[in-house]
Amino acid sequence: MSFYAPFTLPFIIGTTILFLVLIWKYLSWFFDLPRSDKRLIFKGIPTFATLRSLWEVVRECLLHVRIFKVDKRLGYMHASLAFGWFLLIAMGSLETIAYLGFKMVPLQGHVFFKYFAVANGITEHKAGWDFVMDFLLAVVLSGLLMAWFKRLHSRSVGMRRTTRHVLGDRVALSFLWFIFPLRLVAESITVELYGGGSFLTASFGNLLDLIFGHTLLSYAYEPAWWCYSIALCGFFVAMPFSRYMHIFTEVPLIFLRNYGLRATSRKKSYDNFEVQACSRCGVCIDPCQLQSVLNIDSVQSVYFVRDRRYNMLTQQVAQNCLMCGRCADKCPVGVNLLTLRQNSRDAMRNIPAERRYDYFKGLDRSEGAGRVGYFAGCMTLLTPRTMTAMEQIFEAVNEQVWWADRNGGVCCGRPLKLSGETDSARKMMRYNTELFRKHNIRTLVTSCPICLKVFKEDYDLEGIEVLHHSEYIERLLRNGRLTLEKGVTNYTYHDPCELGRGGGIYEAPRTVIEAVGALVEAEHNRRDSLCCGSSLANTVINDASQLRLASALTEELERTGADSIVTACPLCKKALSRTAKERVYDLAEIVAEHITK
Amino acid sequence: MALNFGYNISKPRVIDIDRNNLRKSVEIIRELPELQACIGCGTCTASCTAGNLTSFNFRKVHTLVRRGEYQGAYEELNKCMLCGKCRLLCPRGINTRGVIMLIKRKLGDF
Repeated sequence: MSFYAPFTLPFIIGTTILFLVLIWKYLSWFFDLPRSDKRLIFKGIPTFATLRSLWEVVRECLLHVRIFKVDKRLGYMHASLAFGWFLLIAMGSLETIAYLGFKMVPLQGHVFFKYFAVANGITEHKAGWDFVMDFLLAVVLSGLLMAWFKRLHSRSVGMRRTTRHVLGDRVALSFLWFIFPLRLVAESITVELYGGGSFLTASFGNLLDLIFGHTLLSYAYEPAWWCYSIALCGFFVAMPFSRYMHIFTEVPLIFLRNYGLRATSRKKSYDNFEVQACSRCGVCIDPCQLQSVLNIDSVQSVYFVRDRRYNMLTQQVAQNCLMCGRCADKCPVGVNLLTLRQNSRDAMRNIPAERRYDYFKGLDRSEGAGRVGYFAGCMTLLTPRTMTAMEQIFEAVNEQVWWADRNGGVCCGRPLKLSGETDSARKMMRYNTELFRKHNIRTLVTSCPICLKVFKEDYDLEGIEVLHHSEYIERLLRNGRLTLEKGVTNYTYHDPCELGRGGGIYEAPRTVIEAVGALVEAEHNRRDSLCCGSSLANTVINDASQLRLASALTEELERTGADSIVTACPLCKKALSRTAKERVYDLAEIVAEHITK
Repeated sequence: MALNFGYNISKPRVIDIDRNNLRKSVEIIRELPELQACIGCGTCTASCTAGNLTSFNFRKVHTLVRRGEYQGAYEELNKCMLCGKCRLLCPRGINTRGVIMLIKRKLGDF
């Protein structure tokens, strides 16, 4: 039996190029990994992480559960194309086994089985297999139709906007779109001329015969298979250089992630896996407030990752982001978009200056003494009501407090880190850590989620428990150290990005609010909450834009009909106060107002 | 011969815009034109975290830079911690953090 025909040549060449490029890319990325990352991989292989990864590969690379969670229609569109194609390949192989028994058949023998069955004189037709293959092809084609329609009208699959693609992606996309219709044509002609087929290919073959006539079809027989093979070749060659690199890259990414590899504030080889696993699906565009409120549509994560991958990242794109994390939360591949952006900024901006911040030496403006330290942070120093309220709370529970920066102190370092000056930020982190150690505190309370995040993630504060003031107050209430008088006010709560998505603290502030009044949830809450627009991560948008973002948020909060807006971040409070009709409260303020004497 | 009158005359401190090289200054203004809206109120300096600890004065630095006096501006701006208080307080809504990063980028080699 022969499984070679000239038309298979493009397919064979395409597949060879594809796998050579893939192997080259993965191996070079792997060898460039820092030694600690390699050690994590080797340690992880014999553990359950491998099994967990396999299961995740089935869920995410084949079934795409997370896309279904974004939108069911979008999920079907993608799964019908991707999982459908996978099944076509898998079932195609089983079909060959069903016809020929277990024997070595080269790859093209599986892919072009209908052609080779005829060429090798197999006249028997298994109706069941014909039906299965026709059904799968129909499923894939239905996904393709949806994909076409999505380009015209993205709302039909639940997306307000879809990605604007670069030329390379459009080429790959066109080849992909041609593959299945061409397969349908080639198989239908074969079926019409030599029998077999099921509801799809047989009827489509009949139709072709009616329109073009038998002679023309027999002339078109070989060219049709040629076209199909060329489309496959084009797609395979374009794949590793286009967005379709995600098809294979998500697999190693899932394994590496489960072995504990993470992107860090410095660029490293692991980032390649994350960057090239991005499918540029554009799910990150809709949640972005820069897009929905300000109509900026060139800086979203999808464009950032694309620009970074093709080395055309500009300051404008890298810096223009609120880093609110709404996109990263929705990303179906789970790419760590915020860290990638932050380490891009680091690569663009980090200029180590040896003598920078020499003035920290010997600086200590703290006052008081106690096991509990309170770090107000720059922003809380701008909202003194929050600090006074905290003072009242500390007094009410007789806490001995060490005030780290009431008379001015050094910033936590997060703003500098977010803007990419990682080395300088480390100097602040080192200074503050030494300060905390020197005063021997056991608990560190901060009312600023920005500081909280950096304390938890970048500081080495072993032995010191870091708490946000919402957690601290909730603990006081739980222990019965603090009792509050429940009022009749309705509050609505705004989840600060750094506290909610950034720190995973959603319930503590809500428990506290419910202890002093009633809580009314806004439309976007918890994981889905909006950004106030004043984020320290963005140094590009101007004041008017910040104001528009803030007013979009306050409008939503005021629509709840609540009496007052409460938040747990001094920066959000400042931002919201600018556009809110009523006074905006920090959590500590409403607590201090309701302390029972 | 020097006579000691018990007082002396300070060296003149004149910024001669005609002699200063304004190329960088013009570039900075072109990229962030809102800096021209500054009324020099000094709120940025009054609220400054770094200014609280050192003699760092953002109003002075950016005013000098706009006049073409770049000497030492980069080193001075390196004292800034980028905490963003000035931006929240600026009555003209100037993107002060953007200004600081831009000046540093432009004057990095001075």
